[in-house]
Amino acid sequence: MSGYFRTRYERDFALVDTRTQKVWLAIFGIVLLALPLLAGPFLLDLANQVLLVSIGAIALMLLTGYAGQISLGHAGLLAAGAFTTGILAKEFGAPFWVTLPASAVVGAAIGLLFGLPSLRLRGLYLAVSTLALHFIVIHAGQEYETRRGLSSGVVVDPPSLAGWSLQDPRAWYFVLLAGSVATVLFSLNLLRSKTGRAWRAIHGREAVAEALGINVHWAKLSAFVVSCTITSIAGCLFAYYRGFVSAEAFSLFLTIQYVATVIIGGIGSILGALLGTVFVVLFPYAIEALMNALGLADRMASMIFAVNYAAFGLAMILFLVAEPQGLVGIWRRVQAWFLLWPFKQKPVGK
Amino acid sequence: MTGPLLKLEKLEVVYHRVITAVQGISLEVPQGSVVVLLGNNGAGKTTTLRAISGFIGLDDARVTEGTITYRDERMENQPPHKVTARGITLVPERSKVFENLTVAENIEAVVPRPGADARKLSGAVWDYFPALARLRAREAGYLSGGERQMLAIGSALACAPELLLVDELSQGLAPLIVEELLHRLQVIRKDLGMTLLLVEQNAAVALDVADYAYVLENGRIVLDGTPEKLRQHQDIKEFYLGTGSGTRKSYRDVKQYRRSRRWYG
Repeated sequence: MSGYFRTRYERDFALVDTRTQKVWLAIFGIVLLALPLLAGPFLLDLANQVLLVSIGAIALMLLTGYAGQISLGHAGLLAAGAFTTGILAKEFGAPFWVTLPASAVVGAAIGLLFGLPSLRLRGLYLAVSTLALHFIVIHAGQEYETRRGLSSGVVVDPPSLAGWSLQDPRAWYFVLLAGSVATVLFSLNLLRSKTGRAWRAIHGREAVAEALGINVHWAKLSAFVVSCTITSIAGCLFAYYRGFVSAEAFSLFLTIQYVATVIIGGIGSILGALLGTVFVVLFPYAIEALMNALGLADRMASMIFAVNYAAFGLAMILFLVAEPQGLVGIWRRVQAWFLLWPFKQKPVGK
Repeated sequence: MTGPLLKLEKLEVVYHRVITAVQGISLEVPQGSVVVLLGNNGAGKTTTLRAISGFIGLDDARVTEGTITYRDERMENQPPHKVTARGITLVPERSKVFENLTVAENIEAVVPRPGADARKLSGAVWDYFPALARLRAREAGYLSGGERQMLAIGSALACAPELLLVDELSQGLAPLIVEELLHRLQVIRKDLGMTLLLVEQNAAVALDVADYAYVLENGRIVLDGTPEKLRQHQDIKEFYLGTGSGTRKSYRDVKQYRRSRRWYG
């Protein structure tokens, strides 16, 4: 049986707690670094997609899962970052080192603006106000495309980092991995800080947070600004990775996918955001593979999108009903089972 | 500072611009004392506390008349976090902990008064409430009522208040736990040199710890005095301590004029 005790209060807040965790983390790190050497082009593209989506998903997790503020404007924010990058690169030939901070600044400004309604609105009403963000940004993007006669979208040349052009999927893998890991570390540490605790406190009880000296307005606005900035940066990377920006790529369905990522992964957990990302990115491919295996792919080729949407919706409902804690809940149960083995016991709390 | 730590003068609070909950209350809380507000449901006790701590703004209520003076400075209609930063912390009546955070995170989440030693304070919380220290890693949503009350008081202490406002400490708790908590509060108050303003329905318990008490009815103070004086008062015995004529009665059963005559006259 595994028994271990914390000997100092500070240990409660350590990111990596036990030696076992350190070992597993190291193994996982090595696998991540070795993956591009072993994986084929298809697998590598999947991995890149997961890494790219994970950045946006973590950003939404910070806002919704931790600070408790609903946002349906996430696709719009990705679009804002992508269009900022596209327009700067196209019109001014701006390099990566200009477009990335510019996207971040645009994201922060939008976050500040669309965080303001959250000071007055909650729940569904807030969701509707953030939906406005989505339509405004998409409309602005479409307007730019038509004015400039770019009906098929803005083409973005691959970025060059220190005189080294990013075209190879392997090189992209490492850039996106670095981005994703940086986002995870930034978020985890932010959540252990005063700001992060203030976010979780207002999620728990706004009135009590006020009573204990937390500036609720500031906490909400900072959550919006941080989340929107990260999302916009993800949009910038998206633009470079895809090589073009088009308003059509940022539909409302994309927003719903991000929300689904957070719900399926498990609200209030960075690990949940990562697990949810893997699930949501791989899900359509799994459905396709299933249809191929069943020999339905040819007959239902015209309906593949509809089937995908339906299956996706079904998966979301099933998760909400059967596993409200999401994938991370399953993960914790499995973890507890191994920790308590050979004793049969249900986990309490975390 | 020349006057008392906190002074209310002719305070009037109006909800939704139409309902007057507190009608001209005046009271004083001297530094280092324990002052208790007694009264039945709807008397205006909680509203008074929320007016001091700035919470009424969240319920669409305002201080429309009168003054709240803290350390010789006026502070009506301030937002709660600013009031907390000045040294007044409220332990609310119900829902008072962050259920999604662990006990340790609950204590770490507070923003202490500027200039206070946050490390020392959160350390003191574990000393005063060893039971909480054992539950540090537990999510607060899993705590019992008594543990939640301890945690709420602990979080409030971590704010480094000079004046602690406690709303209905005894609500929903076993009498033994209430006594234990009140005793603990007394110790903490003496150690840290705090001032306490308590709101209670349970008059017997409250009068045990109080230096001075005010009785509220229908948004007005109808009686005030030291616990010794109040305990001897016929109405307090009858309506609040239940030790008067034997049968339990509410002051609401008695015609208004009779009581007014007895109290004011």
